[in-house]
Amino acid sequence: MSSPLSSLKYFEDMYSIRLTQLEAERKRGVKIIGTLCLFVPDEIIFSAGADRIILCGGKADTIPRAEEFLPRNICPLVKSSFGAIIDACCGGQIACSHVSLVDIIVAEATCDAKKKTYELLPEYRKTYVLDLPQRPNTPEAKDYFLSELKKFGMFMDTVTGHSITTDALRREIQSANETRKLLHRLYDLRKRDPPPIRGSEILRVMQRQFFLSPAQFQEGIRQICDELETRVLDIESKPRILLSGCPNAAGNTKVPDIIEQKGGIIVAEESCTGTRAFWDLVDEEKDPWVGLAERYLEIPCACMTPNEQRITRIKDLVTDYNVDGVVYSTLQFCHPYAIEKFRVQHALKKMKVPMLAIESDYGDADIEQIGIRVEAFLEMLS
Amino acid sequence: MITIGIDAGAATTKGVILLDREIAGYRIVSTAFDFLSTAETLFEELLATSDLRQEDVVKICATGYGRMMVTFANATVSEITAHAKGVNFFFPEVRGIIDVGGQDSKVIVVEEGKVIDFLMNDKCAAGTGKFLEYTAKALEVRIEDLGSLALGSVHPAAITSICTVFAESEVISLRAQGIPRADIAAGLIVNIAQRIVIMARRMGLKEPIAFVGGVAKNSGMRVELEKELDVTLSVPSEPQITGALGAALAAQKPEKRSSA
Repeated sequence: MSSPLSSLKYFEDMYSIRLTQLEAERKRGVKIIGTLCLFVPDEIIFSAGADRIILCGGKADTIPRAEEFLPRNICPLVKSSFGAIIDACCGGQIACSHVSLVDIIVAEATCDAKKKTYELLPEYRKTYVLDLPQRPNTPEAKDYFLSELKKFGMFMDTVTGHSITTDALRREIQSANETRKLLHRLYDLRKRDPPPIRGSEILRVMQRQFFLSPAQFQEGIRQICDELETRVLDIESKPRILLSGCPNAAGNTKVPDIIEQKGGIIVAEESCTGTRAFWDLVDEEKDPWVGLAERYLEIPCACMTPNEQRITRIKDLVTDYNVDGVVYSTLQFCHPYAIEKFRVQHALKKMKVPMLAIESDYGDADIEQIGIRVEAFLEMLS
Repeated sequence: MITIGIDAGAATTKGVILLDREIAGYRIVSTAFDFLSTAETLFEELLATSDLRQEDVVKICATGYGRMMVTFANATVSEITAHAKGVNFFFPEVRGIIDVGGQDSKVIVVEEGKVIDFLMNDKCAAGTGKFLEYTAKALEVRIEDLGSLALGSVHPAAITSICTVFAESEVISLRAQGIPRADIAAGLIVNIAQRIVIMARRMGLKEPIAFVGGVAKNSGMRVELEKELDVTLSVPSEPQITGALGAALAAQKPEKRSSA
């Protein structure tokens, strides 16, 4: 067995430290922003002097609360997140305490389930919705998103009472780019054969990216990279898997865990808890607002149409990470990713790379059924 | 070399004894609550019927939903790989497999017995043997008789529910409207065949195609699938044992027990 990584313990230890930090900040009057998507730029929040914490739910326990309000047939991520918000705001004890730390939720107009659920949020917490163009590859889209980001910046000014200066914004862009570069370093290490770390371990780290402060997260990634440089994972040759699709919010590791228990090794995640969260950098040479608008519109989210850049990204990852097979994982009722599956499948077929599609939710009822599909897929690859 | 394959399925447990490349015996029994005791009894019966002793068996390989419970097996293999190997034994030229079992249905693209791609039904009972078993009950027909009854229908009833429980209610309301039993039976067959045809088209199955699993014994289903897919399906004389046979074939090769 390879020795356990001490850097992974860092992330465990930081959990309570971060919560204490946020509580202390709040007492000092620092505004805490709750976010639910990669499209809300950290850089703007931090340069206004606020802090942020991700509110995406990955656990099943708050879903029944949400279903008192929402239809049953929307995705578990939206239900879990919303359930946690209403539970925390009504004095409930089911969810973790993150929501109670949040002053304002900054939401974003992405998929239908999220947009319409956000309309219910102001009842419980002050909510701001950042709008997004849906056809990102047009000049009009960039102009519009630029104006939306500036509007959001002005909103943040009023929230914190500090105006966002160009210098502050540039500093935060540099810091966020530093995080992205570190994550590229980490992911580059996974190109090795065998990779020095399991994907299920990386996922648990990625789930902390928007929970920890940038400085805390960067420190942890640096520690992991340093440890991995010299580490050889003591495993036999296993099929190299690219996990692609819906995010795995903290608490949800079901599908990646099954893949690795059954004998595959995940070498990259094309998801919001993977490459989509850090792949592109903000151009530091440009006007910071323009740089942000361009970078964030490059996130290949399935809410965008057409989403050619995602197909290209997946094809590149398959080649660069020497992937044997792709597991396309969607959350039940996530129409954007479920429909886009067809185009991804088609592109992979052309490359002669096998793909297994799995649709699941936050329950445990389908662990066996997923297991048998994964097992057969891995047998097929080896 | 004597190997045994055991397919611990959700509805039935199947066992095959293989003597080199020859089937020396097989058994099919209903799966009891305990997968292991069902498999153990089946194993002993297999030995008794083929006049073999336990020491003669070189290797036992388990497949099927309860494969991990068959603790006396030396190896396990997924039922997708097992069916591909088993079907290849009967029909080496086959390029596509449709397997409809008690708990799930699957469509497998194969090349010389090797799995190239596969698709399984969603996790509910729609499009499986369970659907027929459940709805046959509402029709008060024995499951074995459903297929031949359906063949006598000229105007199959439209049964649109994908959900098994809803389909059962639909059957009851069709009965209340006085629709003949044969037409309702045919409607049920058309309903499940549609689920399978969608999967087969999605996978782009190419001929020749084999049809296996317990539901392949249903003549009405076979006729309906052949009509919808416009193909002639190859059905082994005993379509329920291809999984167990594939496991017995897998046992002939050196393979290790899955880590899970």
